[in-house]
Amino acid sequence: MTKEVGIKDISKPSKQLIKLRLEDLMKLPPPYDKPGEEPPLTEPKEEWRERYITELDGYIAIDIPFDKPKNKDEEQRLVQRFLEGLKKLLDKENNWTFLQPLLLSLEYCAKCQTCNEACPIYLASGRKEIYRPTYRSEVLRRIWKKYLTPAGKIFGKFVSGDIELNWYTIARLAELAYRCTLCRRCTQVCPIGVDNGLIAHEIRKLFSQEMGVAPKPLHELGTVQQLKVGSSTALTPEGFKDIIEFIEDDIKERTGKNIKIPVDEKGADILLIHNAGEYLSWPENPAAFAIIFEEAGISWTLSSELVGYDAVNYGVWYDDVQLARIAMKHVEVARKLDVNRIVVGECGHAHKALCVVADRILVDEYNIPRESCMPILWDIVRKKKLNLDPEKNNFPVTLHDPCNMVRLMGIVEPQRKILREICPQFREMEPHGVYNYCCGGGSGFAIMTSMNFPEWRNKVATRMKFKQILTAFQDCIDPSIKKYVCAPCSNCKGAIRDMLDHYQATMKCGIYYGGLVELIVNAMVDIEEPFIEMF
Amino acid sequence: MPELEVKGKKLKLDEDGFLQDWEEWDEEVAEALAKDTRFGPAIELTEEHWKIIKYIREYFLKYGVAPPIRMLVKFCKKEVNPNCDLQYIYKLFPQGPAKDACRIAGLPKPTGCV
Repeated sequence: MTKEVGIKDISKPSKQLIKLRLEDLMKLPPPYDKPGEEPPLTEPKEEWRERYITELDGYIAIDIPFDKPKNKDEEQRLVQRFLEGLKKLLDKENNWTFLQPLLLSLEYCAKCQTCNEACPIYLASGRKEIYRPTYRSEVLRRIWKKYLTPAGKIFGKFVSGDIELNWYTIARLAELAYRCTLCRRCTQVCPIGVDNGLIAHEIRKLFSQEMGVAPKPLHELGTVQQLKVGSSTALTPEGFKDIIEFIEDDIKERTGKNIKIPVDEKGADILLIHNAGEYLSWPENPAAFAIIFEEAGISWTLSSELVGYDAVNYGVWYDDVQLARIAMKHVEVARKLDVNRIVVGECGHAHKALCVVADRILVDEYNIPRESCMPILWDIVRKKKLNLDPEKNNFPVTLHDPCNMVRLMGIVEPQRKILREICPQFREMEPHGVYNYCCGGGSGFAIMTSMNFPEWRNKVATRMKFKQILTAFQDCIDPSIKKYVCAPCSNCKGAIRDMLDHYQATMKCGIYYGGLVELIVNAMVDIEEPFIEMF
Repeated sequence: MPELEVKGKKLKLDEDGFLQDWEEWDEEVAEALAKDTRFGPAIELTEEHWKIIKYIREYFLKYGVAPPIRMLVKFCKKEVNPNCDLQYIYKLFPQGPAKDACRIAGLPKPTGCV
């Protein structure tokens, strides 16, 4: 056994605070209960150690160079910048989103540790101290008390506990803010509502807004690229239109239906915004939406304007300023099109960004109704606006709940009511609904694919979800039985795709994945060929 | 950062082996990228590989992204081999369309929720 890591160890110079070992990780159900069934862990390359922060656990989320200070002066300047950022987080003028819950969470945690057992990352890692939801919060709390409160400045560790703010602390804390998927399961079980997920989020904010430190896929290639080019995927409006044409042809070929996908139609009831990743990686998802909405006679449109065809708002994971910029763009597009409401497609974090967090900035004429697609889809199925035959979906199906839809927004029933109606072999994962586990790709992890971060995601962050999926299908785990994980969220789909690939679970267990609307279209009586192509 | 030497010129790659500057690409660069074993097994480029690489490259120059995989498969069925499906593409490019085909075609690493 290695020695337990304490809070103050985060400040101590050492090559790596912890090292994961395969044998310590949470055990998986059959067929992964035998050694050799999953790929081994790898060591970070030596050259990465020079350029990036490998001092936490050897994995790299912050894929931009983070230079070590060359002398005490430089280190002191870094410390000062960090403290300036922390002051802003705790200041009404500078933290317009989450000041109150942050302060309450910093002040009132009773350290009962109830939350730890709710955290999929802590459990999956084999209970590594640094992954406790309370570990990073306590580090921040001690820094705050020691350096920014009068009592801490005078009495030091007697009020704050021991912590030293130096390069090691700052660098490791930056990485540690990206060892939590912001699923907020810890918050849900806290007896007094302390939000450790929020604290992880606020640390990310400090690093991004104050120090210019954020993973490239979220910032430079994410929000910055989206605002400039139109989409975080780099898809341009012309590219978007080309893919729409392709989807129309594809629908015709596969279903015989002539569907004209409405783009930029002024005065439609609904502006539907998909995560642009769908167009590139899963075009069958926007295709299925188009088929369903057209058949059901919904008045809707897509937008081809910059940002209008990409629902993503990665700002929600790390930077309030970027969040606000993108949310404003979404609403401006809707206003120009004069629609009654915006409906977000199968994308969890876009639900959170546009329907919930953006509420703080969308007032007066900008306060356009913003909704989830789930209730609309259930309404279409419930009112039998489509002719569906459940027998066409007669294979084992389970449902992955995106955290932002269930735990954050309470949208729990519509999606499973649909599945109960159209999938005879639907079975729940345990736990599910508001008590679900994150896919492991939450908060940006699904798209952070630099260097060895995917390994950490597949081994630790998605491990609990993989266990749940295997457990839900234990009665039919034989690879000859094809089964479907329904994940109505682009990010979750990306994480599940990578998980199935990492563990070779499609080959070994016959597990496939996809969205919800694909299952609806797959059940449509007048479409002869299966819409879902796992068969 | 990793570098790739082609015709005496050192080209910058990102940590996952993608060309930093897509404009530096030409066919010789593609050959060098395909032979580089630091980011995956070496690939001997055949005529089938080239058809796919050129298609991806042209689509990228036009629209700024790689074509959707579904579109790529359709193209391959028509232009490369009537039996082509995603598995066939994986046979040509063992690490898949993104990690191998796009990388060799000199595209930046795919971004966003793809």
